[in-house]
Amino acid sequence: MSNTPEEKMKHLDEMTLLLYIERQLDRARGLEVSAHTQECDSCRTLLRAMERESRLLTRAMLEEDEPLPSRLAQFQERARKSMQWIWGVAFGLAATGAYALYTTYIQPWQVQLEKAGFGGSNLLGLVMYQGLMWKGWQSMITLLEVLAMVTLAGLGAMFFRRRIRRGSALALVFAGFCTVLAMPAPASATEHRGGQNPTVSKDETIKGDVYLSGERVRVEGTVEGDVFAVGKDIDIDGHVSGDVISAGRYLRIRGTVDGNIRSAGNTAVISGTLGKNITWFGDAVTVDATGKVGGGITMFGGTLAIDGRLGRDILFFGDEVNVNGGVGGGIRQKGHTMIIGSGAQVDGPIHFEGDRPATVSPGAKLASPVEFKQMEKKQHYREGGYYVWQVIWAAAFILFGLVLIALMPKFSQDAVKSAEHYGASAGLGVLVLFGVPIAACIACVTVVGLFIGVSTFFLWYASLYFAQVIVGAVIGQWLMGRTSELWPLIGRMAVGLIILRLCTTIPHVGGWVKFAAILWGIGAISLALYRRFQPVIAPSMPSVPYSPPIPPNTTVGGPLPA
Amino acid sequence: MNAPGITEPTEAIARARAGDAEAWGELYRDYAPAIFRFCRRALPTREDAEDATMEIFMKLKVKLVQYDATRSFSAWLYKVAANHCWDMLRRRKIRQDKETDDLENLPLEHPDPGQLERLIEQRTSAEVRKALDKLGGRARMALVMRYYSDMSYDEIADALGVRRAFVGVVLLRARHELRQALEGNAALAAGGAS
Repeated sequence: MSNTPEEKMKHLDEMTLLLYIERQLDRARGLEVSAHTQECDSCRTLLRAMERESRLLTRAMLEEDEPLPSRLAQFQERARKSMQWIWGVAFGLAATGAYALYTTYIQPWQVQLEKAGFGGSNLLGLVMYQGLMWKGWQSMITLLEVLAMVTLAGLGAMFFRRRIRRGSALALVFAGFCTVLAMPAPASATEHRGGQNPTVSKDETIKGDVYLSGERVRVEGTVEGDVFAVGKDIDIDGHVSGDVISAGRYLRIRGTVDGNIRSAGNTAVISGTLGKNITWFGDAVTVDATGKVGGGITMFGGTLAIDGRLGRDILFFGDEVNVNGGVGGGIRQKGHTMIIGSGAQVDGPIHFEGDRPATVSPGAKLASPVEFKQMEKKQHYREGGYYVWQVIWAAAFILFGLVLIALMPKFSQDAVKSAEHYGASAGLGVLVLFGVPIAACIACVTVVGLFIGVSTFFLWYASLYFAQVIVGAVIGQWLMGRTSELWPLIGRMAVGLIILRLCTTIPHVGGWVKFAAILWGIGAISLALYRRFQPVIAPSMPSVPYSPPIPPNTTVGGPLPA
Repeated sequence: MNAPGITEPTEAIARARAGDAEAWGELYRDYAPAIFRFCRRALPTREDAEDATMEIFMKLKVKLVQYDATRSFSAWLYKVAANHCWDMLRRRKIRQDKETDDLENLPLEHPDPGQLERLIEQRTSAEVRKALDKLGGRARMALVMRYYSDMSYDEIADALGVRRAFVGVVLLRARHELRQALEGNAALAAGGAS
C-alpha cells in the first residue's frame, strides 16, 4: 500500500463501499460516498474492484456449468417406479407375514382351544374359523361376493388410483393367491338346495357339504360333510357328520351332529346329540333333558338352559344361565342371574359375575362352591386407580406418538397439516372410521380373503390411536405455535396429548371428546395418505432443457432512491 | 426478482393449488433447474443438491397454500430453498469456527485496490465456483442468497438468523474467505492493507 496512515484514515472502508454497491446506504451517506469516490483514486479503484467482484460472483453463480441431472428430470417417474416395488414388497410381506402369523400362532392356539372345548368358539376364533366357513364357497358365486368384490375394487381404485400399475396388480394377485392357498381346499362336491322348504330327505345321503336356504330347512337324512343353512326354521333330525353353520330364527337338533354348531339366531333347542361345541349368538339356547353335547358352549345372548348333558365348559355373556343337568367342565358367566337347580351336576369351577349371588339348590352337586363377584356399578372415574391408569395411558400414548413421529416425521407433519382442514378431515373421518371395518369384513368373505381383511382391521385399529396422537399434535401447535422441526413437534404432541387425555376423563363428556378426536384424527391421516398418493408433479416429465436463470442479479452502486 | 421475459406463473400456481398434476409439472419444469443450481452452489456435494431439490419441491407442494399470490413466486421459492439448505447445513454442523466469531469485530479496513483488482481480473467463473466449495456454510449461503437469488438483506437476515445490520458483515467476511480461497493470501483476505 502506498498510502500513509493519515491518508488511509481518510479513505472509505470496505464495508461502507460494499453497502454503497449494494444500495444499503441512506441517500445522504450514499451521496457522500459518491462524491468521495469522484475525488479519491484509491477508493474509486477499490469500488470498481468490488463491483467487478460482485459481477464475477454473480456470473460464477448463474453460469450453467452442469445440466440438470437426469435423476431430477425424471424424478417423478422414478418415484412412481419405486412405489411399485414398495407396493409389491409391502403386499407380499403382508401376505406372507399374515400367513406365518396364522400358521405359527393362531392355528396352534385354535387347536389348543379346540382340545379345551372352546375351539373356534370365541369371537376371534370364529373370525379365524372363516377358513372352515369358506369350504365350498369357491364354487358359489353369489351376489354378495360380486358386490363385495366390486366394493373392494372401488376402494382400491380410490386409494391407489394413478398408482395401479403392473407392480400393484401383481402384488394383489400374489396376495390373493397366497390367501387362496391358505384356505382349505373343498373336501368334496358341494350341493345347493333352495326353495320354500329345502329338505334332505330321510333315505338320502349327501356326500359333501350342503347349502340349504328357504323358509323351512329340514335335514332328515345323512350329510357326510357340513350343513350351511339359512332359513326361518331349521330342523336337523338326521345325521350330520360335519358342522352345522346356520342363521335362522329357530334351530332344532333332534338328530345327531358330529361336529360343531356355529349359529346366530333366536332360539336353539338341542334334543339330540352334538359331538363338539356350540357357538351361539342369539337369544336362547336350551339343551333338553334328552340332549347331549360333547363339547362346550360359548354364548353371547339372553338365556342358556341346560337340562341335558354337556361334556365341557360354559362361557356365557348374557342374561341368565339355568343349569339343571350335567356340565362336564366349569362355568364362567358374566350376566345377571345364575340358577343352579337340584338336578345339576357341575364338575368344574363356577365363576359368576352378576347382579346378585347365584341361586343354588341344595340338591345340586357342585365340584366347588360358586365364586361370585358383584358386578361393579360404580363409575370408573370415582376410583383412584382410574386416574393412575389415565396417567399410564397418557405416558404410553406419548411414547407411541414419539415412535410414530420419529419413524414417519414427514407423514406425521402432513397428517397434522391435514387436520387443519377441519371439514375434509371430519368428513373423511366418518367415512374411514365406519367404512374400513365394513370393507375389512367384506374382504374376509371374498376371494381377496381373510388376511387382507384382518390386516386392514388391525391397521384401522392402530390408526385409532395414531389419530389421537395427531390431534394431540394439533392442539399442541395451537398452544405453542406451528413448527416443522421434529422434536418441537414431538413436544407439542406430548402437551396436546396430555390435554386431550385430560378432556377424555371428564365424566359424561369424555367419551364424546375421544370419539370426536378419533374421527378428526383418522380423517386427517386419511387425507394425508390420499394426498401422498397424488402425484407430486406431472406424470411424464420431459428431460429439462437449459432454462435461463430466474433472477439476474445486478449490483449497481449508488444511493437508495429518495 | 424475475428475469425479463419470465412472467409470474399465476395460472399454474392456482391450478397446482387445486391439485392439478399438470400444473405441478409446469412449475417443476420451469423452476427445478434454477433451484437445483441454487442448491448446487449452497451445498457441498452434487448429491446433496439433488436430494435438496427434490425435497424442496415436495415441501413446496405442502407449502403452496401459504404462498401469497401478490408477491413474487420465485422470491418466495428461493426463500423456501434457502431455509431448506440452511437447515441441512445446520443439521450437519457444516460451520467453520470463524462463523461463531463475533460479527461486530470486523475491522473497517481499506485494502489495496490494485491487489484486489488483479485478483479479480485473473480469476474465472469456474475458479470462483471451485473456491466457493472451500467456504464455510454461512459464508457460502450468504453469497448464494445475495448473488444468485438476489435476496434482500432482510430476507438473508431472516434465513440465517442474524440481525439485519450484520448481513453486510457476513457478506464482506464471505468475500474475504472467498478471496483467501482464490488467492491463498491471508493478508488480502484479512482485508488489511499491507
